[in-house]
Amino acid sequence: MKSGGAPRRLEGLAFVAPFLLLYGVVLIWPLLMGIGISFHRADLFGAREWIGLGNYATALADPVVHQAIGNTLLLALLIVPPLTALALLLALALNRATRGAAVFRGIFFSSSVLSVTIVTLIWRFILTPDAGLLAVAADALGREPLPFLSDQALVIPAIAITTIWWSLGFPIMLFLAGLQQVPADVYEAAALDRAGRWTTFRHITLPAIRRTLLLVVMLQTVGQLQLFGQAQLLTGGGPGGGSRTIVLAIFEVAFGRWELGYATALAEILFAMILVVTLLQYWLVTRREDAG
Amino acid sequence: MSATSPRAGLSGPVLALLLVGAAVMLTPMVWTLLLSVKSNAALLGDSGAALSPPYTLDNYRAILADRLTSRWLLNSLIVSLGTTAGVLVLSSLAGFAFARLEFPFRRSLFLFVLLGLAIPEQAVILPRHQLFATLGLHNSYPGLILPGLTGSFGVFFMTQYFRAIPRDLDEAALLDGASRLRLFWSVLLPLTIPAQATLGVFTFLASWNDYWWPLISATTSDYYTLTVGLASAQMNYAQTSGLGFLMAQAVFASVPILIVYIVFQKQIVRAMAGTAVR
Amino acid sequence: MASLALKDVHKSYGDTLVLDRVSLEVAARELIAFLGPSGSGKSTLLRIIAGLETADGGEVWLEGRRIDALPPGDRGVAMVFQHYALYPHMTVRENMAFGLRNAGVPKPEIDARIAQAAHVLEIEAQLEKKPGQMSGGQRQRVAIGRAIVKQPKLFLLDEPLSNLDAALRTRTRVELAQLRQRVDAALIMVTHDQAEAMTLADRMVVLNERRIQQVGTPMDIYARPANAFVARFVGSPAMTLAPATVMPGNDRFARVRLAGGAEVMTRVPRNGLVDGAPVSLGLRPEHVSLAPAEAATLQAEVILVERLGDRTFVYACLADGLEMIAQDIGSSAVRVGDRVGLRIDGDAAHLFEADGTGRHADAAT
Ligand SMILES: Nc1ncnc2c1ncn2[C@@H]1O[C@H](COP(=O)(O)OP(=O)(O)OP(=O)(O)O)[C@@H](O)[C@H]1O
Ligand SMILES: [Mg+2]
Repeated sequence: MKSGGAPRRLEGLAFVAPFLLLYGVVLIWPLLMGIGISFHRADLFGAREWIGLGNYATALADPVVHQAIGNTLLLALLIVPPLTALALLLALALNRATRGAAVFRGIFFSSSVLSVTIVTLIWRFILTPDAGLLAVAADALGREPLPFLSDQALVIPAIAITTIWWSLGFPIMLFLAGLQQVPADVYEAAALDRAGRWTTFRHITLPAIRRTLLLVVMLQTVGQLQLFGQAQLLTGGGPGGGSRTIVLAIFEVAFGRWELGYATALAEILFAMILVVTLLQYWLVTRREDAG
Repeated sequence: MSATSPRAGLSGPVLALLLVGAAVMLTPMVWTLLLSVKSNAALLGDSGAALSPPYTLDNYRAILADRLTSRWLLNSLIVSLGTTAGVLVLSSLAGFAFARLEFPFRRSLFLFVLLGLAIPEQAVILPRHQLFATLGLHNSYPGLILPGLTGSFGVFFMTQYFRAIPRDLDEAALLDGASRLRLFWSVLLPLTIPAQATLGVFTFLASWNDYWWPLISATTSDYYTLTVGLASAQMNYAQTSGLGFLMAQAVFASVPILIVYIVFQKQIVRAMAGTAVR
Repeated sequence: MASLALKDVHKSYGDTLVLDRVSLEVAARELIAFLGPSGSGKSTLLRIIAGLETADGGEVWLEGRRIDALPPGDRGVAMVFQHYALYPHMTVRENMAFGLRNAGVPKPEIDARIAQAAHVLEIEAQLEKKPGQMSGGQRQRVAIGRAIVKQPKLFLLDEPLSNLDAALRTRTRVELAQLRQRVDAALIMVTHDQAEAMTLADRMVVLNERRIQQVGTPMDIYARPANAFVARFVGSPAMTLAPATVMPGNDRFARVRLAGGAEVMTRVPRNGLVDGAPVSLGLRPEHVSLAPAEAATLQAEVILVERLGDRTFVYACLADGLEMIAQDIGSSAVRVGDRVGLRIDGDAAHLFEADGTGRHADAAT
């Protein structure tokens, strides 16, 4: 507001200092440290040896890493599009001010507040062939239960389904918020123009929530690239690494093999992938806005 | 408000599909609940038994008697409440300063903080583990709480909120002879209570459900949070006290969070709306 | 003794100068209105006095004390904000008490002052309410009450009536007039509305283009506008300014010729006016009347008729395209398209020199 001499100008710094201190020490400093460590052969106990890009070179040639990246991308592909579509459909259906809609919103969001441990616990005893609900159902029908958590072909879909069930709430809420921004008179005008349901959706709703759609897709992609707990807890990455994700690989390298340098390099690679997605989002949003 | 007709009920086919969807959402939870009220022995070899009585609360009694589970609950409460309180205090102070005070490097510092929104946990978690080992912070409450206090979102959110409060009020307070601290504490802070509630609920949820960091930082079971404790129980469930007990633990661990969800539903929805339109 | 004195106050935002060496003296218990078009710096000047904005230079004195370096709370001024700026989470009582508590006024004294102000403003029943539960008019009184309890030496009001509907506005205007009888302080209000300024103010300060154009009583400003800007800005409908030239002659008063050829004899002393110099002839509507062709100064065509009931404004277009406003009786039968004769009352006309300086009819004779 006003200039008030040096003490008053420094007062502001005192207000931001506590946060900045923690932010610097517990976030930014480790971030920089990590980049440094990734150029070393380092273990968890302090040994360090400079090897330049050695860890990155190893990663590029490492079949375990290739598999983990493949698994992660496949998971993202199996999760993000169906999750987005489902959430959009549900949001369209639930975007009304009735009690019933409110109850349904509550139900579809409820799983989102659970922790990953609880979610996997719940789903383990749905999926597992010895005690799961699906096994019980198969049994009642006189069929053999499917080995969801131990069959190479089934683990990834099983994790994807668990994740979709868990993550549905947030995108629904985002879409609902986006839909609320569309002014009602636009729909009234469309109705007067005899636009059908599909036409209305295609030409009015969809363009209006374009930003939200993009936001959902990007947030989910960034989130699923970091998928960890479900894989670790449901399948332990198995069988034969068939469900090992990038973060799980990082975890195993760091805390199973104690190769901190290599694990950090993998983390930086993941960081780069996430950064690309984030920048892409930024670019898409700003570019579209310039155009429109 | 709505796409078609704001007050109109749901049409038949849509309603049917929604009901199926709701069933898919709820069945796993109901199943868990059923398993949790069966004796471990009855479930041995045949979890289908959960579909029929007799039911019992023995597992819950066992949990209340179990030293570790209560300890984990306490840990989770301490960590989540500590993180929430810390985030609210730090974000309010910083948000107020960024929105209202003039100081050197204000804009650059704000951009620097915004940068944090783009840093994923993966990029810091391993070196932070190293750092905390050096500082001797593992297996301690500060070790579990501090990383949760570095989120930029809270500062960003509070800054936006303070900015939206009309400046007239600051000026009226200045003319009323209020100091900066008084302006912050008596005039502006009370007006941010809705934002505090939203940010608080979100922080609490995130902290309660956090898995990755407590998993690697708390390595003795005395410092496990419920989330990590449940994970360890899940991994070796063959050796633990049985399926019914395990599921009762899951239900037990979800209760606080579901209470928070139900009580603060409004704030949660509002916060989501905020994210969507930013 | 002057209550408030401004000396050479100036202020820029970046490269744009918004106040250029403004000086002003306000007497004790005087009510001053700042009037001027949007962006003329009224609010800025008010905020500099309050201490919410720092001037780049100049001095501000209040009751013999230099205050421009003091923080706003220590200046002894109180302000009523356009949007009231009541603290939404505090009750009316707490709103009024806040500043007093900050100043360390003892509790019984605070209570007494609030009770007194609430009584005067008739808001006793609302003391425990929050601003959100009150109407606009009530909030306005609370805002005034919050200023009164501080017992300031100077009240500052930024467009205090602009948020109220027409009926409430008139009523509040009356209340403001009463307020100043009760308080022992000077009052400065910013307004867009000249009727407000003319009815309330002891003196008006007309601002435009970074400067004070004129300071004077409402009648003074209406009757003897210092320049063409003030002449056009004050009064409604606005004064007509007709291009003219000064005719040569030896009379005591100036005679001018309009562009269309008609001549008007004024009562503006001619000394100092150069023969043949271009001037503007300033005519308020009440000094132009409709007349039969033979008694008329000019012929014109009616383009708009504004009927106010007690009188009628006739907008007429001269042959050379100049528009002139005349006043006629309430029951005037004129219609758009009529050709009418206009009679100019030269005795009341003003002249404005090329640089805008106003010259007025000699009041003495
Ligand atoms: N904070 C600011 N930064 C830059 N320029 C400003 C600022 N505040 C005001 N100005 C400029 O200063 C000039 C005077 O503004 P001021 O608000 O004093 O006008 P005003 O006479 O009160 O107008 P109005 O009748 O519209 O309220 C305007 O040109 C405005 O654009
Ligand atoms: Mg103004």
